Amino acid sequence: MTELAATRASLQETMSFLGAIASGIEEAIGESANGISYLAGKRLGMKLSEKVEKTDDLLQALESVRRVLQENSCLWHFEPFQMHDRPEMIELTESGEEVNLVFRDCMIRQSLFRFGHQQKGSLCNMMFGFFAGALLNIMGRDSVLEIRHAGENACYKRLLIQKAGTKEVA
Amino acid sequence: MVEIQVHEDGCRGCRMCVDICPTTVFEYDEEKRICVVRHQEDCIACLSCAYLCPSGALAHANFHTVKNFYRDLAFCEKMERFL
Ligand code: SF4
Ligand code: SF4
Repeated sequence: MTELAATRASLQETMSFLGAIASGIEEAIGESANGISYLAGKRLGMKLSEKVEKTDDLLQALESVRRVLQENSCLWHFEPFQMHDRPEMIELTESGEEVNLVFRDCMIRQSLFRFGHQQKGSLCNMMFGFFAGALLNIMGRDSVLEIRHAGENACYKRLLIQKAGTKEVA
Repeated sequence: MVEIQVHEDGCRGCRMCVDICPTTVFEYDEEKRICVVRHQEDCIACLSCAYLCPSGALAHANFHTVKNFYRDLAFCEKMERFL
C-alpha cells in the first residue's frame, strides 16, 4: 500500500470508529448528541477556514468551503444544484439566501453504511456544524444546513444563509 | 447527465419511487398505471428509488458512484494479482 493509501485507510478506520461512537452516544444521551457533534463540526469549520478570504457572495463562499475540505483531505464532495423549475441557483427568501446542495462522496455516509448505522444522526449534524463554522468565518453570517434527503449514493440538502438579525433553528 | 430507465413490464405502479425522489423526477401515469420519468435532468443519482423499487424496475446510467472504503482499495490491490 502506498503512504497515501495507508493514511486514507487509517482515516477511514477512524471514521468507522467515530460512526460507532456516535451511534452509541445517540442511544445513551439522545438528542443532545446532535448538539455536541454540531459544536465539534463548527469548531473544525472555523479553524480550517481561518485564513480564507471573506466574501458576501454565497457561491464564492461555497467554492472556498469546497477548497478547504479538499485541501484538508476531507471526503465531503458537494456541489450547488438547481432544479429545472428554479429560476436562479440562489433563492432570496424572507429568512435569507437559500441554495440546494448535493453531497456525493461523503466520509460520514460511507462510515455509517459500513456498520448499518442510520443517516441524519449526530455525525451528519457535524457536517452542519462544519458549514456553519466555515461560513461564519467567510461570510460573517449564521447558516442552517438542513438534510432534505439522505440517499444511498448522494444526499440532498438546503443551505440557508440567514439575514443578519434572523434565526432559524434546524 | 444521469439516464434513468423504467422497465415498464416490471413496474407495478406502487409509486414508491414517486414518493421517495427528493427532486420529483417521476410522475405517475394514471392511464398506464406505471411511473414515468418526467425530469431526468433533476436526478441527483441518490439511487434511493432504485434501492426501494420492489420490482427492481429502475436502472440508472452515467452517474458518479460514491468512493468505496479504502480498505476495499487495499483488498482490490491484492485481488488485481489474480485478475
Ligand atoms: S417503485 Fe418500481 S414498481 Fe413502484 S412505481 Fe416506481 S418503478 Fe414502478
Ligand atoms: S436516483 Fe434519487 S434523484 Fe434520481 S430519480 Fe431516483 S430518487 Fe430521484
